[in-house]
Amino acid sequence: MNTRETDKQSVLVIGGGVGGIRAALDLAESRRDVVLIDKSYSIGGLMTRLDRTFPTNNCDLCTISPHLSESGRQLRLDLKPMTVVEQVEGQAGDFRVTIRTLPRYIDVEKCTACGECAEKFPDWIRFTPGLDPRAPTCMRYPQATPYAFSVDADKVTDFDALQKACKVGAIITDDKEKTETLSVASIILSTGAELFDPAVLDNFGGGQFPNVVTGLEYERLMSASGPTLGQLARPSDNKRPARVAWIQCVGSRGINRQDVPYCSSVCCMYALKEAIVTKERFAEDIEASIFYMDMRTCGKDYELYLNRAVNEYGVNLVRSRPHSVVEDPETGNLVITYATDDDERHKTEVFDMVVLSTGFRIPASTRELAGRLGIDLNEHGYAQTSGFSPVATSRPGIYVCGVSESPKDIPETMIQASAAAAMAGTQLHLEQDTGAEEEDFPPEIDVSGQDPRVGVFVCDCGPNIGDVITVSALVEEVRSFPGVAYAEAVGYGCSKESMDKMESLIREHGLNRVVIGGCSPRTHETKFQDMMRCCGLNKYLVEIVNIRDQDTWVHTDRPADATRKAVKMLEMGVHAVARAHPLMEHSLPMNQNVLVVGGGVTGMNAALILSDQGFRVYLVEREARLGGIARNIRATLEGDDVGRYITELAEKVTADQRIQVLTQSIIVDHKGMPGRFTTGIQTGPRMHYMQIEHGVSILATGALANRPGQYLLGEDDRVMTQLDMDAKIADDPESVRSMEQAVMIQCVGSREPGNPNCSRICCQSAIKNALRMKNLNPDMQIYVLYRDMRTYGFQEDYYREARKQGVKFIRYEPERRPEVRADKDDLAVCVYDEVLGRSLEISADALVLSTGLIADDETTEDLSVMFHLPRSDDGYFLEDHVKLRPTDMSVRGFFVAGTAHAPKSIRESITQAQAAAGRAQTLLAKQWINLGASVAKVEGDKCAACLICVRVCPYNVPYINAEGYSEIDPARCHGCGTCVADCPARAIQLMQYEDDQILAKLDGLFERMN
Amino acid sequence: MTDSFEPEIVAFCCHYCAYTAADMAGSKRISYPPNVKIIRVPCTGKVDAIHIMKALEKGADGVYVAGCLEGDCHFKTGNIRAAHRVRRVQALLEEIGVEPERVEMITMSAGMGERFAKTARDFTEKIRQLGPSPVKTAARDFRRRAVS
Repeated sequence: MNTRETDKQSVLVIGGGVGGIRAALDLAESRRDVVLIDKSYSIGGLMTRLDRTFPTNNCDLCTISPHLSESGRQLRLDLKPMTVVEQVEGQAGDFRVTIRTLPRYIDVEKCTACGECAEKFPDWIRFTPGLDPRAPTCMRYPQATPYAFSVDADKVTDFDALQKACKVGAIITDDKEKTETLSVASIILSTGAELFDPAVLDNFGGGQFPNVVTGLEYERLMSASGPTLGQLARPSDNKRPARVAWIQCVGSRGINRQDVPYCSSVCCMYALKEAIVTKERFAEDIEASIFYMDMRTCGKDYELYLNRAVNEYGVNLVRSRPHSVVEDPETGNLVITYATDDDERHKTEVFDMVVLSTGFRIPASTRELAGRLGIDLNEHGYAQTSGFSPVATSRPGIYVCGVSESPKDIPETMIQASAAAAMAGTQLHLEQDTGAEEEDFPPEIDVSGQDPRVGVFVCDCGPNIGDVITVSALVEEVRSFPGVAYAEAVGYGCSKESMDKMESLIREHGLNRVVIGGCSPRTHETKFQDMMRCCGLNKYLVEIVNIRDQDTWVHTDRPADATRKAVKMLEMGVHAVARAHPLMEHSLPMNQNVLVVGGGVTGMNAALILSDQGFRVYLVEREARLGGIARNIRATLEGDDVGRYITELAEKVTADQRIQVLTQSIIVDHKGMPGRFTTGIQTGPRMHYMQIEHGVSILATGALANRPGQYLLGEDDRVMTQLDMDAKIADDPESVRSMEQAVMIQCVGSREPGNPNCSRICCQSAIKNALRMKNLNPDMQIYVLYRDMRTYGFQEDYYREARKQGVKFIRYEPERRPEVRADKDDLAVCVYDEVLGRSLEISADALVLSTGLIADDETTEDLSVMFHLPRSDDGYFLEDHVKLRPTDMSVRGFFVAGTAHAPKSIRESITQAQAAAGRAQTLLAKQWINLGASVAKVEGDKCAACLICVRVCPYNVPYINAEGYSEIDPARCHGCGTCVADCPARAIQLMQYEDDQILAKLDGLFERMN
Repeated sequence: MTDSFEPEIVAFCCHYCAYTAADMAGSKRISYPPNVKIIRVPCTGKVDAIHIMKALEKGADGVYVAGCLEGDCHFKTGNIRAAHRVRRVQALLEEIGVEPERVEMITMSAGMGERFAKTARDFTEKIRQLGPSPVKTAARDFRRRAVS
């Protein structure tokens, strides 16, 4: 048991990038106190600087910004920007951490981010929400967290003047550096990494020629909020480039002085993304070429992205590591000198712009921090972890996630962050949900039957609204609107003082509806909804009218028009809120049991963590034994003993009192809603039927070892898979030792029609087995026939080692695949060597095929039908969001982990198992599950059962019930309203956005106009 | 049509993209004509043909529906449904002799404050050129006749 008895119930998260935010939110949502610190003045990290992200090419900030504002609001989350760790004492479960917070000179609680200070004294203030023309420091979205400015005290020459500029009095002139000591049970390191600065290289012109930029700088040039407003223009002359080249592995995978030897794992995908987005926007007018060594698109569905780049967008791929980039000083154009495999002479080509794909570097500050934390770093400066504890550092109680652990992309960072949160959580109690946090409000007043008594409160937000329109005159006009019982100007409505005043006015005047004229509901609705609840009013009886962001801020120079518009906007609000009615948020008691489907490494790990936290787990396994596909693996690339690990894991699971293991069991039926599922199972040799009640489900059904009938596999004993060879090395080393020549063929059954994706694990398997075979017989000749060597991250070290030990790597093209010839005495492989320009015939004692994994199509199909879950085209379970929610599924309460999600290594499977256990706890920590109020409702007697709603719902929620009309499960409805708009009988209404409210807004707008 | 004609324009904006883009235009202080009044909806998929028609009937000279970029809809396909409905309304308007250009579907991402403002400017200008909506004048005449 990892749980420790302690009164210290919090976790410290160091670093507020996406990983740190995810970890902190997971912990807070699972009812644990978290302190999130970041050395910067707002959180968000590197991701906030990206234009679009692969593989969806979405602007994902729109998707993550709710995460950020969420973290600004969480009760259990204490956000401390501009803060660093000084010292760590104690041990797991009982650390004392000294932290130091630099002065911000601004009271975050009071600051409304109005921008007055920055307007008057632009040089003194730090806040760059997408406005900053200086790449690449700006954010693309208007919602920095905390939503407040910060003062650069070194530059301030007159603090009094600054203080006067701030109308809310948020400037703290005597703000001091603060040092405090926290008691924490565990620590998560998520400080990320820096990007390599190519200016230190002398051959590519980075930092030297204006038209040579880094990948991140190119993102800023493409971005709508970047320095060129998305009009891609090259820096030297602001002309749109016609030919752009990307150079991969700049500073990575190298052996020169400034290089790092490892692979940065993300650059192939981001270069492809940048090239695709470039082609998407400028199509025929622009040529995009990528110079690369190996195309490492080995994430989920990434191979399809690569194929699309080449086939659909015409991105030109050149397999070469260029020698140099030289500028033509006349034109600013760039000459790339390079050589390719098939031609040893150097070629030159001219481009308008060159993008250097730079990778990750661990900054010196992280090395110092690691020293203070007392954790080991690996030889590359990343936090050292072990194969079967992928997020645990060398010091118990300190965990790591994201790029601090190894180079990785956003989905992997998200998975690791949730895993680190789950593991950090094992150091402290899961606090019982007493409902105390929710029940801080007085009982709700029943307003049904009452005539609307609308109160209108209009903010001036200091000069933001007040300088453009005369709020008192506006209020005077509003008083005459029908239904308005009271109207008042409230200054800064969101200040505590004004909130208190409004509360007493609402009570005093018996108001039962409220309109706030102020800023955006996106940021402040929750705050005013809470105010309503404090007054005993339903939170859906308030309407926020955005007269700041959508009126005074955009019509500053037309005050008369702005005032007229504000009147109309408020009138719309009053009309709509008069028709609002109290809404119930759906909540149901949460069943605390967990169903884990699949008893492999992933399922067993998830089960153990959740049982450790006190939850009852049903572990359902189809086979008679636990262990899954990993039972066939003896060792990992790093040399860990898999066999022993699986045996111990299975023993632990079997001995665990809270885990009920059901082997030889299959799932046969399923019903219920998130938090309250019932699943039927047939179990044991006699197929006895039983039902399990559970609140969440984790799918860890794994994948299958691929065995395609290619290259005589299954026909000739000398032909085998990497898995077969792995077992042979462990079980029959003598036969391996006697081999003189062996050939491996990569991508057998992967990256080809029928199974177009990359299996991710085969390159490392091949390197692993090659090194072990060399270890048994150093004189053995091993040939690896490959298409791209995809030894991402630190696996590159083993690839280099294999080459050093004389393993020969020969590349083949899919159009000219190797051929195998066999007779009784001889097995030979014929391959065309691109470098030599001729065919080679290699006789082999063993032919080892890297066949990888394929989805367990039958199982995932059955389960996806039963659980109503989507799958990817190749039969893996499809996560809810490929970037940000890689472990959650589209049905709330379902999580996916391991190779049921996509091909991955044991280490990566364990990480996702931990992540799934962590994500599950965000639901299990609550006794009640809140389903919100904005859901579609059907009026049964109006419904003609025409099935239109069934067809148009993006989530397949509506169905025709036994009474013959459409029914929409509020637990599964996402609240988009598509069915409402398409229902010909007008039988459906979306709560909170009912048609009469929308029409009332139109009435309010046009009433007194005609 | 008089020179002082100021069109009334209703913009149905989805919460996740267009409404956020409008806020973005605000925080960047990019001005656009005050003629445009925004009605927030969770998704453009929620915008019914009847909402657009009612807006025209009640007095709007132009209506546009602004959602997420194609493929980026927060609710997967709401913006596609909305575009489909807007096309239907346009066809309907054409049938009854009203310029279909008075109704339009527009897409943008949440970060495109600039695009939001430009769209508002362009659309307002277009409607200004078209003049007052014949639906509005007909409805007004009808009411007047009914009164007298």
